[in-house]
Amino acid sequence: MSLTLQNVSKRFGGVVASDSVNITVPKGKITGLIGPNGAGKTTIVNMITGMLAVSDGQISVGGRDITHASADEICRARLARTFQNIRILPDNSVLENILIGFHRHEKCSTLAAILGLPSARRESEKIVKMAEELLQRFGMSALADFPAGGLSYGHQRKLEMMRALASEPEFMLLDEPIAGMNDVESDSLAELFQELASTGMGILLIEHNIRFVSKLCEYIYVLDGGRLIAEGAPTVVLRDPEVMAAYIGGEHA
Amino acid sequence: MTNILLGYQPLFDLFLLHLGMAYSQWLVLRAGVFSLATAGLAAVGAYTGGILVVSLGFPAPVALLLAGLAGGIVALGLSIPLARLRGVYQAIATVAFIQIVLSLNIYASGLTGGPQGLNGIPKTVGTVTLLIAGILTVYLMYTITNSRLGRAFDAIRQNEAVAASLGVSIVRHQTLAFIISGALAGVYGALEAFHSYALAPSQFGFTFLISILAYVVLGGRNTIIGPIVGTAILLLLPEIARPLAEARMLVYGLLLILVINYLPHGIADTLIERARARRLSARLAKSDSVATTATRN
Ligand SMILES: Nc1ncnc2c1ncn2[C@@H]1O[C@H](COP(=O)(O)OP(=O)(O)OP(=O)(O)O)[C@@H](O)[C@H]1O
Ligand SMILES: [Mg+2]
Repeated sequence: MSLTLQNVSKRFGGVVASDSVNITVPKGKITGLIGPNGAGKTTIVNMITGMLAVSDGQISVGGRDITHASADEICRARLARTFQNIRILPDNSVLENILIGFHRHEKCSTLAAILGLPSARRESEKIVKMAEELLQRFGMSALADFPAGGLSYGHQRKLEMMRALASEPEFMLLDEPIAGMNDVESDSLAELFQELASTGMGILLIEHNIRFVSKLCEYIYVLDGGRLIAEGAPTVVLRDPEVMAAYIGGEHA
Repeated sequence: MTNILLGYQPLFDLFLLHLGMAYSQWLVLRAGVFSLATAGLAAVGAYTGGILVVSLGFPAPVALLLAGLAGGIVALGLSIPLARLRGVYQAIATVAFIQIVLSLNIYASGLTGGPQGLNGIPKTVGTVTLLIAGILTVYLMYTITNSRLGRAFDAIRQNEAVAASLGVSIVRHQTLAFIISGALAGVYGALEAFHSYALAPSQFGFTFLISILAYVVLGGRNTIIGPIVGTAILLLLPEIARPLAEARMLVYGLLLILVINYLPHGIADTLIERARARRLSARLAKSDSVATTATRN
């Protein structure tokens, strides 16, 4: 089972942000997606998660076509994401930010929720417990009651990851998850990503830090100007002349 | 002593009636719907209740339920065009809806009494009924807030893209918030009808709309206490300082401008936030000092 993009394109008026892109994200592995600024990486994630309409091509997960599904349906198809420009809920506490991640699993009836019946209360208590376990796993238990808007960058990124994990995805799309973190923090996240992959999760990792990507991924894709210019094992791909040129900014700048 | 308290009873009744309306407004705002329809939906409920009792001889409790149902159904209908709009456009559309309700009221004079209003409604609602309604309303707002629905409303209000990416259906939740808000407005409209012998079409107009909005904005939009504080302050103020009663709307306007500028989250929400910040920093300081004594030993 995998997440696949077949000839996926996106045009913004005249700008081609994505040009017939083919990507496969298998389960149980971390797949890298790199490319210079404006290459179209975030656009790919936005299309997969239903936040941008796909102009052409097909996206499917485990054989199921999700090309034109809505964002909330795609979450229920077990895809989750984090955002490059951090999007936490600033009015809510850290704990509450994670609770909303469990939304997909909350099954009590609307009437039970409105009337505060025991079934609804039990469900709320259960997800509070699960959220606390996630906080513990990320070493942020002490921050549970703090307003999320006041957290440091690194903590906000981790909070987004906990929230995404709460939905129990089979595929996780991480858009520059270690931007603004120090080496200690990013190393501990590297371990976490490997652990998640080893439990069967498929991860698409977008990252500018080449060292980080080469360490975690067996397979990477390189985008430039909306077009895939290379793919394969990091050691091979990173020596590709076209890739080097794209990064140095030579002929593609 | 009892005389003084009795003197304030009409004010207390008014407070309870307006509190229910304020929660109707509060709930939609909480779910990120910029609707001002509460006044119009209250009019639907008030006239439904009044007509059922006066012209059709329904018992008041049944009429009350049907008024709530009418408010909810009209809200459901209104939510369809509203789902396509955002922000200020939603506000404009709902004000237009209030205009439609008010003019229908005048045109259908055979049913509603037209400009003369609907008279001769038996008074069946007193302070005790209103108090029970108030307690039930606060309870419901509390349970909704602490349920999956409240969490979804909070997420949608703050960031629709995040909410959707976590599987929250925006249209479904906003529609639900709007229906509950409409039912609440309908019930309180009917309570007002059964409390006051008569209804006038102008009663649910612009002044009413602004008052309801002011209660919520002044008190606070994100806590349950917010509407209670806002409604209490704005209703009590003109009573405490009698000369202000003449210029009620002027005072409301000035207070709103002041609060929006200096306490943008409203009085109750701001105080609660500050108390929470103090408690958390105290806790942090304590755990720090524990940590330092531990290292010293
Ligand atoms: N909503 C939009 N409307 C118009 N153009 C857009 C939109 N979103 C992205 N673009 C354009 O599409 C191209 C790709 O943008 P995208 O954000 O996907 O790049 P990226 O690879 O994520 O870059 P970065 O590394 O800076 O995050 C850019 O030229 C950008 O200006
Ligand atoms: Mg990007």
